[in-house]
Amino acid sequence: MDLNAQFGWTGTVGDVVLGRTRAEGGTRSVSYRIGGGTTLPFLDTTRTTPSPLVAFECCDNPRFWSPIVRDYCGDLANDPAQWAKTAETVYGADLVRLNLTSTKERNFSDVGAVKKTVESVLSATSLPIIIEGSNEPKIDSEVFLACGEAGQGERLLLGTAEASRYRSIAAAALAYDHSVIAQSPIDINLAKQLNILLREIGVPRDHIVIDPYTGALGYGFEYSFSAMERIRFSALKGDVDLAMPMICAPADSLTIKEVRDAQGDARHEMAVQWEVSTSIAAAVAGAEIICVRHPRSVAVLKQAFAGLKNSVPSRSAEVR
Amino acid sequence: MALKALDIYKILPKKNCKECGDPTCLTFAMKLAGGKADVDLCPYLDDNAKSVLGATTRPPIRRVKIGVGERSFAVGEEFVLYRHEKTFYHPPGIIFKVSDRQTPEEITQVTVRVRDESFTRVGTMLRYNGIAIENASGSKESFARAVATVEESADLPLVLISTDPEALALALVQVGTYKPLIHAATPDNYKAMCALAKKHGCPMVIRSDTLDGLVSLAKACAAEGVQNLVIDVCAATLGAFLLQSTAIRQLAITRNVPELGYPVYLDTTRTGMQDAAMALGIVKYASVILTDPLSPEQAKAALTLRQNIYTDPQKPIQMNPGLYRIGTPQKDAPVLMTVNFSLTFFTLEGYLESTRIPCFMLIVDTEGLSVLTAVAAGKLNEFLVRDSLKKFGVENEVSHKNLIIPGYAAPLSGRIEEATGWKVLVGPRDAAEIGEYLYTEWKK
Ligand code: B12
Ligand code: SF4
Repeated sequence: MDLNAQFGWTGTVGDVVLGRTRAEGGTRSVSYRIGGGTTLPFLDTTRTTPSPLVAFECCDNPRFWSPIVRDYCGDLANDPAQWAKTAETVYGADLVRLNLTSTKERNFSDVGAVKKTVESVLSATSLPIIIEGSNEPKIDSEVFLACGEAGQGERLLLGTAEASRYRSIAAAALAYDHSVIAQSPIDINLAKQLNILLREIGVPRDHIVIDPYTGALGYGFEYSFSAMERIRFSALKGDVDLAMPMICAPADSLTIKEVRDAQGDARHEMAVQWEVSTSIAAAVAGAEIICVRHPRSVAVLKQAFAGLKNSVPSRSAEVR
Repeated sequence: MALKALDIYKILPKKNCKECGDPTCLTFAMKLAGGKADVDLCPYLDDNAKSVLGATTRPPIRRVKIGVGERSFAVGEEFVLYRHEKTFYHPPGIIFKVSDRQTPEEITQVTVRVRDESFTRVGTMLRYNGIAIENASGSKESFARAVATVEESADLPLVLISTDPEALALALVQVGTYKPLIHAATPDNYKAMCALAKKHGCPMVIRSDTLDGLVSLAKACAAEGVQNLVIDVCAATLGAFLLQSTAIRQLAITRNVPELGYPVYLDTTRTGMQDAAMALGIVKYASVILTDPLSPEQAKAALTLRQNIYTDPQKPIQMNPGLYRIGTPQKDAPVLMTVNFSLTFFTLEGYLESTRIPCFMLIVDTEGLSVLTAVAAGKLNEFLVRDSLKKFGVENEVSHKNLIIPGYAAPLSGRIEEATGWKVLVGPRDAAEIGEYLYTEWKK
């Protein structure tokens, strides 16, 4: 018997389900049950817990999106449905995260259009969907209800609830049985408080995914990494109010100096390196959904997570 | 299990001669108990006392130095599993790998890169740490030639990789005095390898794919008198590495298996996924990381991640508050206010330098918080700005009373004007736009 780390954890990360298949009352081709971890990420050699999922982020108004991604994706960026489909069939993502950036337009009011966009994305891809609703408290309620309704039966993951604005999103999630992303600024206590607030208004624990906020590598990631480790640690120690799966979105990577200063293909490469390094570290710290914006990051991460899941002692690793 | 200070004191010579650098044997005992001193510092301990104390009092992970001179680096001497519990002290060495099948030109090119390249972030110069030479040809002579080629162009920490002790012996004739790390001792060759390590005083890698195998090897090498060890779990997958390196760290720091208390080695080229392996090694306990030469993009990401993970999470890197000059500003030069978080300072400073407009930077004390964070936390406020203007005598330096504040501090502009009597100009949010702002707004 080989030696093993001895932790003596007592807690388990709770489960959250993403998406509903036909058999489950939705129309997705797969659904995922994330969570369930009983030790640090990837150390569970019985391999009952799934690999982290890779979500590709797209949007419905590219004006508010990174020029690097627009440059790489070309016309696709103007067609969220086609973009989502490409994420599934070409990039190889596990999930699609649709950011409703159209709601950032000044005096935005066309909630009907948002609903149509959500519907078109749901029919273009069969993957489970994360929807990032409005960023403006005044229209939150309408936008989230529209999204919730459009995705009824599909068990969407709706984002993003924060301590200062979580009621509208929670209401939509409760009304249509979706889950919620709960974001707090890199602080374990604030993360816990927000989870409690959500639970108090009726959102069940198994409908919450924690977003501890991911600062970009070199621009806050040193804090995010430890916040994630601490959240996972608390979950394993038995704190049920922190025992939810985590989501990580290194979206800030695309705006940092190193990426902006690079030119041409080197810029794409820099963006991918930044997203990938952050994502690997975040997955090892406990994130179970990783969101990326550069299409090239998806395959790299899928391969890496498969490698991380494979912990068969390397008897064949031979000495040349 | 760890001994208490008093138990340790009982074993010490009680001469109170101060040669260990401590005033008394008791204070030395206290340090030993805390893992903060090395038994070897006391010259009067007999072998028996040393062996009792050795394993329990040295840091749970032994400090191992690789190379000599300016570029040498130390790894190990870590105490925690999570950096939030304390901090991680010794960043992993990033080692570029070459093989003795490559041409001398190729080898020299890689060596020169490691010697010369650097990347400055937050005022710190980040570099790769050394060169590993692999005996892929199987020929002793080619190996020795490749090692000589590296040595000719740089004094860098080296890793010599061969399964053949004779090949290593020949190479060590040339570079033994530079204390390269030799790779690797296995159950079959450890006696010959230990003899080499002892002869040249080099650190040595032990290699096995099971922890039990590593424990026996570590014991066997210690019995041969070689203690400066580094552990290679020869993981072929990322998962295998993570599992083993975590177990080693955990068993070592709890001192459950002190024989595993050595730094860990990771050859990312064996995993087939170098980028992912690099990130994994940096966050999860690798101390010596081998890689094929990195592209500029890979290098920046890896070096930045290493810097982040090895920064104390409790202490943001800070600047001293004060009035800083960019170029030689005259009385009419602009004054830009910002916070004392180093990252903010260096980012803004970089952009200001490229504008070529001489100016003043007023750095206020937000205890190391960035602009947005400081505003959100209430640390950046009008009184701080007022007091800083006064304290650093800004009025005597310039002939105007205009203060440019960061775009993210805009909500404070009115209050700053009121408290200071200065006219506040709200700059852009993004420091990258400062040049354009100064040319259009300030110059007009
Ligand atoms: C890392 C981080 C932290 C770290 C602290 C890091 C530090 N040393 O400051 C920690 C985890 C401790 C932290 C804590 C908090 N944080 Co915080 N944090 C961040 C994060 C991820 C990155 C900040 C950073 O390092 N930026 C990089 C530096 C270089 O940026 P900067 O200083 O702003 O400088 C730029 C510009 O301002 C400009 N600039 C700078 N100076 C000047 C000067 C002039 C004249 C001009 C023209 C321009 C200019 O140039 C720079 C580059 O463009 C941000 C999110 C984000 N993406 O920004 C959240 C963020 C700033 N935090 C936030 C919050 C709320 C907090 C907390 C209040 C939460 C809490 N209650 O605990 C605390 C407050 C601190 C406390 N009480 O201890 C919020 C702020 C919300 C808001 N809009 O007000 C943010 C935006 C996250 C979010 N979306 O919720 N945080
Ligand atoms: S060197 Fe040894 S004997 Fe002398 S004071 Fe230190 S512990 Fe005591």
